[in-house]
Amino acid sequence: MAAKHYAMVIQVAKCIGCQACTVACKFQNDVPEGQYRTKTPALGPKGTYPKLTMTFEKEACQMCQNAPCVKVCPTKASHYNEDGVVLVDANKCVGCKYCMTACPYDARFINKETGAADKCTFCYEERVSKGLKPACVSTCVGGALAFGDLNDPNSDVAKIMAKAKAEVRKPEFGTQPSVYYIYEGVK
Amino acid sequence: MDITWGAELSHELAWGWLIAVYLFLAGVSGGSFLTASLTDLFSKNRPEKVIRSGAYIAPVSIIIGLILLVFDLGKPFSFWKLLIYVNFGSVMSIGVFIISIFSALSVIYAALVWMEAQASKRIQITGLDSGKQSVDYGREIAASAAGGAGKTNQGLQALRKPVAVVGSLFALGTATYTGFLLSDVATNLLWHTSLFGITTIPFLPILFLVSALSAGLAATLIGAVDCSDLTAYKKADIALIAIEIILLAILYLSVSPVFFSGSMSVIFWFGVVVIGLLIPLLLSIYGVAKHKNLVLPVCSMVVIGGFCLRYFIVYSGQLFK
Repeated sequence: MAAKHYAMVIQVAKCIGCQACTVACKFQNDVPEGQYRTKTPALGPKGTYPKLTMTFEKEACQMCQNAPCVKVCPTKASHYNEDGVVLVDANKCVGCKYCMTACPYDARFINKETGAADKCTFCYEERVSKGLKPACVSTCVGGALAFGDLNDPNSDVAKIMAKAKAEVRKPEFGTQPSVYYIYEGVK
Repeated sequence: MDITWGAELSHELAWGWLIAVYLFLAGVSGGSFLTASLTDLFSKNRPEKVIRSGAYIAPVSIIIGLILLVFDLGKPFSFWKLLIYVNFGSVMSIGVFIISIFSALSVIYAALVWMEAQASKRIQITGLDSGKQSVDYGREIAASAAGGAGKTNQGLQALRKPVAVVGSLFALGTATYTGFLLSDVATNLLWHTSLFGITTIPFLPILFLVSALSAGLAATLIGAVDCSDLTAYKKADIALIAIEIILLAILYLSVSPVFFSGSMSVIFWFGVVVIGLLIPLLLSIYGVAKHKNLVLPVCSMVVIGGFCLRYFIVYSGQLFK
């Protein structure tokens, strides 16, 4: 059996902008007030009536397989875990913010309470390692979020990706994100 | 604040003015050390004031820079972990060791220069009594005249040349490191620029090295302003300023104009180009030609320009990602 490749697939057309993911993440991960591991800002409305569109795009750590943050981290606090998930060891982190300058997705912040770099973990320790899905995925109302092992052809993500054209953000940097966006139905 | 409707959260830049000051001070420190150590090693008439000025500025500025750096950390009191956990793939991790060694050498070098200056002073006083005022002569006989303490000093002075040589290498390392720190961020289009698009030659280490030599030399000359003959140094500074102008022209032509827009246009055109390069270049050429001492205004502007350059690069690279 090949190594795991955990991925998240976001079907943008199904997102209704309810922010349940934003709230579930804060609830699950004790993120300090005013700070977010995931945000889902509204883009638009664009165009003029009757051709108006508005989409919501979930933004968080893109779980790059070639992560700039891991490369630049001077203490190896930012690392890939045994399942290829990018995580921060808050104990090793000194808060130099080099990773924040390197991340092209603005996914990281300095946690007000710990002083360490913080970001989305795919809820790895609390949920995924126990066979659950990340809090945002479990709570997603419109079924826009899917999560699973891309190397397992029977997983939700593999099935969706087989059918639709998926994109990654800022592919020009060669970061190889594990968060995919499907724009079918909105573009 | 309104996350629901997607109003952008005010996004603070990861690295702010503290980092710009730190990069500037590291450059000044490296440049000052090189000015002093190269004078010490290669100059025939060895202007003591220049050596002392550079040797003292180097440790003071790098130590102030490091203090600022530590306080910019999210966890200032865990800075020591940078020495314990090492990532050879990270420029910062390597830089921590280069800068630590350079800081130590710059302190040792300054102490050696200071001890010799003290010994010379004692001799000068003794010499005055017997009608001799030569400092150089005083240095030669420092040990015999000052007794036991002088002997220890003479022994320690044997370290001075090796410390100057090894320190020079680490000073070069420190000055270029500040460029590599930024240029290694491959996702930053300004910082990651390469020379003439040759990807193996990152641009910022070259620019920051030249700027460090220029600003370090200028800071050293401010400290040695009443020294009689600084012509060679002034000429060196003119050459460095000219090289920096060429480098900035190359930078301007090779990256997107957006990096020079908005608030950054003032810092770049006024701070870096006019104050830091053009006026000092013209004044300096005028001063050398007419044998006027314009060291103070010229060098002050070069130092200010050196800071503006670091500020511009640090901010512009992050503002226009």
